[in-house]
Amino acid sequence: MNAIEVHDLQKNFKGFSLNDVSFSVPQGTIMGFVGENGAGKSTTIKCILNLLKKEYGEILIFGKDVFENELSIKNDIGVVFDDLHVPETLNATQLDKIMKKVFKTWDSGYFFERLTQFKVPERKRVKELSRGMRMKLSIALALSHHPKLLILDEPTSGLDPIIRDEILDLFLTFMQDETHSILFSSHITSDLEKIADYITFIHNGKILFSEGKDVLLYEYGIFKGNKEEVSAIPEHAIIRKRNGALGIEALVLKNEVNEVFSLEKPSIEDIMLFYVKGSV
Amino acid sequence: MAGLILKDLMTIQRQIKTQAFVLIFFLFISIFMQQALMLFTIIIFIVTFQAITALTYDEQSSWDKYANTLPISKGDIVLSKYILSILLLIFGLILALPIVFIIHRFTNNWASTEFFLTFNLLVTLAFCMLALLLPIYIKFGSIKGRMVLIAVCFLPGFLFSLINEHLPDMTIALSNLKQYMFLAPFAGLLILWLSSLISTAIYKRKEF
Repeated sequence: MNAIEVHDLQKNFKGFSLNDVSFSVPQGTIMGFVGENGAGKSTTIKCILNLLKKEYGEILIFGKDVFENELSIKNDIGVVFDDLHVPETLNATQLDKIMKKVFKTWDSGYFFERLTQFKVPERKRVKELSRGMRMKLSIALALSHHPKLLILDEPTSGLDPIIRDEILDLFLTFMQDETHSILFSSHITSDLEKIADYITFIHNGKILFSEGKDVLLYEYGIFKGNKEEVSAIPEHAIIRKRNGALGIEALVLKNEVNEVFSLEKPSIEDIMLFYVKGSV
Repeated sequence: MAGLILKDLMTIQRQIKTQAFVLIFFLFISIFMQQALMLFTIIIFIVTFQAITALTYDEQSSWDKYANTLPISKGDIVLSKYILSILLLIFGLILALPIVFIIHRFTNNWASTEFFLTFNLLVTLAFCMLALLLPIYIKFGSIKGRMVLIAVCFLPGFLFSLINEHLPDMTIALSNLKQYMFLAPFAGLLILWLSSLISTAIYKRKEF
């Protein structure tokens, strides 16, 4: 079963549109959702959450239509944005009291455990917390009603590597339950390399690929050489080419290329750059 | 719904504490001037305005973006602001009435019928003000909302000048209405309810 299914999603703005966005997040997996700033990641996530109204397409969460089953679905999801969107005069203890009234399954014990783990002060107002602390509080809020699905929109942007690592560990702990799933949008591809099972890449409002991370990292290779050397590679093996500092670089399908060509292992960032800046 | 109201009360808690000082100041003034109704008016308007304060806090923190990811319907999000206002108004009345009566007791200008009329008028006015303010703030946000509000405030003046010619008739009509004044708060509530329907329709169209 898929935790999230998006089919032919369309949404138009002045100067930007989502075009036939389709992908799915299989249950029990982490989907990394990557793309540069303004590529459409947040717009897609907002459409999934019904914060923006889609113009066309179908969005299913846990196999159910989001718009027809909005409230029951939202009981089982936790959402983290790139900032904590609660009035700044509130503190963590007050938020606990509020959430207890919002979710039937709210677990105060778990919430305060996470705050202690993250060293988030319980009685300091949100206004007085650092950005890292606000994000940790936001994640503790998203987890404490024991959701089945986490939807994360740039949760680690602007955080230092140590806090990011702590947060990623927490997501991996969440994934120990096999029925749990995560949709994780980020432009910090190294975070996704650490934890994602699948990568969906969006560019200019279109999905360029949605693949298993291992498929991307182990089936693709980068060849660097001059024009003649690159022309010796079979055309069907080349996915994208671009001019590099020392000649031409080509993203190729490893298995389709003769072993005499020495290939480098690509990172997700490399693959993104080939897709955005390279040509066929 | 209870969670939303609790959230608003906690958010404006600090604000209410600050305004308590303003109230104490006016309490002394009204005792000194023997004008209990002034205190009464101030209390009613301070508490009802808290709903607007709560909306402004929501806007500053993009609360609606978060609230709409929670299992709360859009209708409840809007309705919670109306219920909050009514609760605060009731709270304000409970707070104000004993003080007002005590001031009246010790001053000589005791006219209970007049007081009852003014009381009704003030409560109705508070309801009508909320019925006007909340949809405007929900639609336009606090900054644009203020502008629209100023524009709307000019409208009664404009209408008044239009119907100025028929004014003598109007005064008679109004004095006839006096006996129905006890109905006014109910009419106010009805207007508030209609306003909540409009606000919900506006809110449902919004994107976050």
